[in-house]
Amino acid sequence: MYMKLAFRNMKRSAKDYLIYLLTMALISALMYTFNSLLFQNELRKYQNAEDMMEVMTALATVFIILVTAWLIGYMVRFMMEKRSGEFGIYLLLGMKKSALAKLYLQENILLGSVSLLSGIPFGILLQQVLMAVLFSMTGMAYRLHISFHPGTLLMTLLGFGSCYLLSLFRCRRKFKKMNIHNLMEAGRKNEEIRETFEPAKRLLLPLSVLFILLFWTLFGSLGNGGTGAVALFLTGLVITIYLFYAGLSAFIICYIRKKGSLIYKRANLFLLRQFTSKVRTMQFTMGTLTVLFTLALMGSSFALMLGGWQALLLDHKYPFDILLYSPDPGDTFEREITFLKENVKPLEIFPYRIYTDGGNQINTWMLTHLSIWGTMYQNPDGSPDTAQINDFLENNSIYCLYDTYMGLSDYNHLRRMLGYKEIELSDGEYAVQIKERLSQDVQHIGDDLMLAEHPTKGAPLLTCAGIYAEPFSQDGHNGSDYLIIVPDKALAHMYPYYSELALDIKGTAPPRLREELDTLRDSQMTAFRNTNPALDGNRGHGSDTVIVFSAVNAVKDNLKASIAYMLASVTIPLFYISLVFLCVAVTVLSVQQLSDSAKYKYRYDVLRKLGLKESSLRALIFRQLSAYYLCPALLAVLISGKMVLFAGKQFVMMTGMPVLSYSFLLKSIALFLGIYLVYFTVTWISFTRNIRKEFR
Amino acid sequence: MEHYIRICDIDKYYGNASQVTKAIDRLSFSVSRGEFVGVMGASGSGKTTLLHLLAAIDRVSAGHIFYENTDITELSEDDLAEFRKNNLGFVFQDYNLLDTLTIEENISLALTLRGGSRKNIREAVAKLLKLLGIEEIRDKFPYQTSGGQKQRCACARALANNPKLLLADEPTGALDSLSSQTLLETFTNLNDTLGTTIFMVTHDAFSASYCSRILFLRDGKIFHELLRGEKPRRRFLQEILDVLSFTGGKAGENSEEMR
Repeated sequence: MYMKLAFRNMKRSAKDYLIYLLTMALISALMYTFNSLLFQNELRKYQNAEDMMEVMTALATVFIILVTAWLIGYMVRFMMEKRSGEFGIYLLLGMKKSALAKLYLQENILLGSVSLLSGIPFGILLQQVLMAVLFSMTGMAYRLHISFHPGTLLMTLLGFGSCYLLSLFRCRRKFKKMNIHNLMEAGRKNEEIRETFEPAKRLLLPLSVLFILLFWTLFGSLGNGGTGAVALFLTGLVITIYLFYAGLSAFIICYIRKKGSLIYKRANLFLLRQFTSKVRTMQFTMGTLTVLFTLALMGSSFALMLGGWQALLLDHKYPFDILLYSPDPGDTFEREITFLKENVKPLEIFPYRIYTDGGNQINTWMLTHLSIWGTMYQNPDGSPDTAQINDFLENNSIYCLYDTYMGLSDYNHLRRMLGYKEIELSDGEYAVQIKERLSQDVQHIGDDLMLAEHPTKGAPLLTCAGIYAEPFSQDGHNGSDYLIIVPDKALAHMYPYYSELALDIKGTAPPRLREELDTLRDSQMTAFRNTNPALDGNRGHGSDTVIVFSAVNAVKDNLKASIAYMLASVTIPLFYISLVFLCVAVTVLSVQQLSDSAKYKYRYDVLRKLGLKESSLRALIFRQLSAYYLCPALLAVLISGKMVLFAGKQFVMMTGMPVLSYSFLLKSIALFLGIYLVYFTVTWISFTRNIRKEFR
Repeated sequence: MEHYIRICDIDKYYGNASQVTKAIDRLSFSVSRGEFVGVMGASGSGKTTLLHLLAAIDRVSAGHIFYENTDITELSEDDLAEFRKNNLGFVFQDYNLLDTLTIEENISLALTLRGGSRKNIREAVAKLLKLLGIEEIRDKFPYQTSGGQKQRCACARALANNPKLLLADEPTGALDSLSSQTLLETFTNLNDTLGTTIFMVTHDAFSASYCSRILFLRDGKIFHELLRGEKPRRRFLQEILDVLSFTGGKAGENSEEMR
């Protein structure tokens, strides 16, 4: 009997709260899609990334369950409040509270099931899209095929179920405290506006603005203050977010009370009062929404940074099809060549050597002149801090212990392999081959540095004839960060430092070639290092940060796929979290407004009776909704903006991505706006329809 | 006397193809400037429908309504909104005050929607607050005031635009007897001193006795009309009660108001 009632009530709720239902369906679809990464990850067999994708997805799921539970809890309480009159009638008719609680629980579970069931088919489709995206990110072809795994479904059910358990748990207690009179009154009662201590509360607005300004100015140097300062600042930020709304509404109320001239223009008075009464009654919720928006914006910005790196830089990371490193300066790579000939079709095989003069004047120059090192390795007077530099070179494997050189003929051979133009050097000249990111910093290397071919032997000085910044595999293969190119003759004064083997191949390399090469060469390399301890330190992975992947056996096709996969295992969960957070937050905004449009329809009727035209009324609603939607979004942009801009700047500086550092923020705001607009439009249309329906 | 508002042969139907309800049935009458007209009738007699038609918030099925020379049945939605803004004032049983605005702001809003300088608006509001005797509660929100105060605020708002016609739908319906009396005296006062034309729908004989003319409605038609003339109010009330008891009306219900 109650089941039938529950079903009917559910149908009505689904109609009244369509936006909520759609968001829940979207969340269940997303949940299904991402859970499929745990069970149906077809890429896993090609990748050896230690289940990173699975771990990150599971972690994201935890956050999503918490936020979704918050949404459900919010909606359950919200609908309960809106329907209190109806619940009063059920109790009046003699229904027991426990039965009522059960009825409401059934309704909500039914509603949840409807969204879950409608979400899953969409999730199955979305899973194919995600797989296609992942495959194309890792450079592989994917054939669409609808697949289904009971594990994915079970996991989604579990996730969705736990959201409901978490949120419905608290609901039962509320029913116990119910009283028929209060219930029946509650529906009729309007929000009571209590305006107390407004002038004092108004101060919260300038205070929050001041804190945000402080946040913008001090954020960059926050790291210097230690974790204590960061924690303090973040706490202050969260408090600011929550107090901002109390301050804002108090500020506007004081303005209205002072009868500022703005309130005498058209319907401004109505708008301002609507806004303050809404913000005041839900200031805490508004704070939470701002936090969600902030996190969503940050998540998507960080995902965009990593995604952008992959799109723009990964190709440049590995210009050679296959590049092998050997610590043995005399290595002829016989075993490797034989092995490779069996596994790939080489177009060209080229073994060569990197040389050193046993000094580190270039290393010293780099450490004291590149902007990434700042003044870390300088004495207060600007001269190199030799002790620190030696300590750095011996204890970090960023640069080789000694400077790295290459002969002109080897260099030109490699340039030919990559399709670059060959270069020319005369006897007294040298060239610098450096990563693009650092090329600006070394423009004046010729002025500062007079290169000695071999300082110990007092050889003639060389001058800089050019700086080349094409991609050249400078993460431990062709030098770390840099390589000094000298005429072949000059190599007579140096000694071989380590060996490299470069291959140009036809077609693509087999998926697990790199791992096979690793196995083949591991014991050989360890054996060499054990017998030649003196040569240790001839490998440095360069100064790249954020994304570092230094491979002794660099197989382009394998590495690109693995790195893309690893990046995807961070970017995809980040996008997932951002999307859900955003949708949850906008849903709350929309539901709030739509239920107000139903409950306070008479307000708009009054405006009509006062002679407001339909077109003006629509414009008024547009302005009301815009203010309400923009307020938390703008605050979130203001807060996340600083963090994203700061991180973006660091990211661009460290990775040398050829984009403007604020592009990440702009792009995520654009993404954000897209979704925001969809919800806004739906809300606006339904709002105008709601208040139109029963006007007579 | 000049015919200020003319209602000519209006019909109003509700419903769909299978079931049609005739709420107003070929009704014609006219209202003169400065009249205080009451409409009485049982539930479902069509009195609220008539008020809505006069108020231009519902459209006639047939016939015409003239305000001086303007036929409002011919106006577009936007023109109607403009017409309401400039010519009509409303007072309803449930006050229809905006709960988010204070008493003073509720009155201000009606004026700001019409445009005008800040100074003029503030002066007009102050005058209305004084006229209706609600100056002391100007900064209170509707929920903090009594029913009578709310209704006087609604009155002040209705008068804000110097309406050609003040429309009142059961204005005393939710008030206690003392508040009702104060409000009706306010109406009479407005009618006498400012010459405001008032059209009031009520089912309460006591309220109706303040009018200068009463139309009795049944099944969408006028079946009787009473003129107060120079009669004292008590006698007029008795006449109204006689008409109501004759038609099986609500005389008994109003015994409390027989003061």
